[in-house]
Amino acid sequence: MNPVAIQRFPGIRLGLIGGAILVLLSLIGMVEAFNQREIVSDVISMGQTLLLFTAVFIAYLAAIRGRERGQGQVFGAGIAAGLIMAGMLALLVLLGHGVNMRQVFINASPALFQALIFQQEELWAGIGLLLLAGTLTGLAGGLLCLLPDQLRHVLIGGLCSVAIVGLLQDMIAPVLSAWGPLADLNDLLFPGNGLSVSGAIGLFIAVVVLTAFWSFKGQAVQTRIQALPPKSRRGLNLAAVLVGVCVLLVLPQILGLFLSEVMTIVGLYVLLGLGLNIVVGFAGLLDLGYVAFFAIGSYTMAILTSPELGFFDWNFWQALPLAVFFGVLAGVFLGVPVLKMRGDYLAIATLGFGEIIRILVLSDFLRPWLGGAQGIGKIPKAQIAGFEFATPPQIYYLILAGCVLVGFISWRLRDSRLGRAWMAVREDEDVAQAMGINLVATKLLAFATGAGFSALSGAIFATKLGSVYPHSFNVMISINILCVIIVGGMGSMPGVAVGALALVGLPELLREFADYRLLVYGAALVAMMLLKPEGLWPEPTRQRELHETANAAEASRKAEEPAGSRS
Amino acid sequence: MAVIMITNLTKQFGGLIAVENLDIEVKEQSIHSIIGPNGAGKTTLFNCITGFYRPEIGDIRLDDHSLVGLLPDQIVRHGIARTYQNIRLFPDLTAMENILVGMHSHLRAGYFGIVLSLPATRKEEKEANEEALRLLKFVNLAGKGDLLAKNLPYGDQRRLEIGRALASRPKVLCLDEPAAGMNPKESQDLMDFIRHLRDALGITILLIEHQMRVVMGISEKVTVLDYGKKIAEGTPAEVQANPLVIEAYLGRGSATKASAA
Repeated sequence: MNPVAIQRFPGIRLGLIGGAILVLLSLIGMVEAFNQREIVSDVISMGQTLLLFTAVFIAYLAAIRGRERGQGQVFGAGIAAGLIMAGMLALLVLLGHGVNMRQVFINASPALFQALIFQQEELWAGIGLLLLAGTLTGLAGGLLCLLPDQLRHVLIGGLCSVAIVGLLQDMIAPVLSAWGPLADLNDLLFPGNGLSVSGAIGLFIAVVVLTAFWSFKGQAVQTRIQALPPKSRRGLNLAAVLVGVCVLLVLPQILGLFLSEVMTIVGLYVLLGLGLNIVVGFAGLLDLGYVAFFAIGSYTMAILTSPELGFFDWNFWQALPLAVFFGVLAGVFLGVPVLKMRGDYLAIATLGFGEIIRILVLSDFLRPWLGGAQGIGKIPKAQIAGFEFATPPQIYYLILAGCVLVGFISWRLRDSRLGRAWMAVREDEDVAQAMGINLVATKLLAFATGAGFSALSGAIFATKLGSVYPHSFNVMISINILCVIIVGGMGSMPGVAVGALALVGLPELLREFADYRLLVYGAALVAMMLLKPEGLWPEPTRQRELHETANAAEASRKAEEPAGSRS
Repeated sequence: MAVIMITNLTKQFGGLIAVENLDIEVKEQSIHSIIGPNGAGKTTLFNCITGFYRPEIGDIRLDDHSLVGLLPDQIVRHGIARTYQNIRLFPDLTAMENILVGMHSHLRAGYFGIVLSLPATRKEEKEANEEALRLLKFVNLAGKGDLLAKNLPYGDQRRLEIGRALASRPKVLCLDEPAAGMNPKESQDLMDFIRHLRDALGITILLIEHQMRVVMGISEKVTVLDYGKKIAEGTPAEVQANPLVIEAYLGRGSATKASAA
């Protein structure tokens, strides 16, 4: 096969790429590890789902490329891609049967190969089945490509929700069964490992019907809401907010201990994300040392409240304002020297600042005051009138209150003269200055506000754990928060919450697959940047902007096409 | 009555003298044009006036306050606003937001006023929104306030930039080649608009233009720069008749070469 042919036939090129991905997923042990969990009992396991979804997606991409070259090539390209992917897996299986690869690839076990050929006793029958599956995958990709957009979205939504419910069964099942009336539903959905067949089909139909209803009627509902007089529309908004608040308030009672714990971690990241969102999302100042303020908040809280050090014996509420104050102070302190820096230089300088703080608290020199590598323990819990925020469901409320406060402040600031000044600085610093914006004050305010939020999060973090250690504040935290913002949507506040749920909450729920956490993380980020660069829940204007440019590009392409064909 | 007095202004970049010993007097409520061939120092002069560059020698005074050494944001507060030769809007903000950012210098809301949404802040924000809408209408962009600046057509972007400059309520508006990239009809419309703007708002307009033909119709006074020096000044008719100007535009004769050597 010469390179030209690979370039010419998208099915072949994408098939080779997809095949490589599938072989990789198998060899690093992901398929086998994921096979422990059934998505639908006795029908499909998580490992198979992973392979199947990847293969169908690649076949779908191939079909789209094929369609660009002519209507006839849709199925050709899809099936070619599917067959090549299946073929590469088949080669892997054959190779595995002939040669022992386990010295290099420890996960290339007979169990893996057996799983790849659908547990068939007969090798060649299994391989035939695999190739047939590849062909079907290609057909499915081609069909998806030919379906009208709405129908495709509905179908994908249904399949994905079945996969997600199956994946999160360990979280959903206890929640459902603890709740009297829903316990029957639980027995119906999850009789054993994975969804029951009838449960899966029921769920699929329910989701399809709901999403179909929304995609056909949603527009009409929205226009009707738009047509309402402002007063009742405001009432509707208020009602929605109230419902949201109620759900958030009763959440820990429903979720139980483990999920509440996960929610507190997500909540801390939301707090941090909202703060960094002001610095990076609004003002466009790339800060990679953001964890430093988190550490400063934590350590201020620890020093002021822990009896272990013996300097102070304050309670949480006395120490909290001071923790935030020191965070703000540190924000200004960091802001002043880096005022003149932009872009990459700013990122590196702030990265250094984050490390300085971590190394300082780790140092032996400051050990008598900061506890060194052993950290500070015995940090008391927060109390209000005898109520102690000790267990995760209780701390959840503390964090929720923090998130509401910080979200409220960011929302007010965003729609104000200051928020506009930040965005102007983000867009064009020189022109912003020529509009009368004092760059020093504006940038310092962004740094200080973000740092204050981060310190608040740190203070709550300290009382939640009861102890602080230097290693909790490494640079990965900064990077994680930045990823939360990027995945959620730069500058978008609901995006921060969605990003934190996706990047912090999901990995916590899937701890048994923690080995593959970073791989999935990286793949998800790359996929995000390619497919949805504006984020999961972008700012309304930002969404419009990116899609408009796409539409404009599409329009100009179409305008050029006839001109090109005439010439 | 002079609103801007520039005396003995010199700006160098290394060995290159971009503006040399320049004296310009801009009369209040006039339309004063600075013209000259490419590289004559027109934009450098603007950058000195608006605080982007700091001149080595000389003084720039606005109503008897020296502007030399002030930062761009302080100069805006004194009442000088500008536009750019290559449009520099905030591309990812809406037209409305661009205008609101332009108002920054005369809004007062502070951090706590904003967070607590104090009555004074709310009132100010409401008034700012109304004024922004009026300005959008004034620059013929009514109804386009929610569009992102970068998605507006070229002519609209030019006018939005002028609107954003006006939002700071300037005494002097500096326009850097506003007719660049426009056809004769469009530039004529723009010139009419600039005249209307001066008459309606009573501000002074300092205009840089590359094409002589464009400015002759509306300018009350024209200063011609070449190689950073003033070579002529006067009414459009006087300037047009000046042999030095003709030479600068049509080509350098032997006389200039001899004097340069």
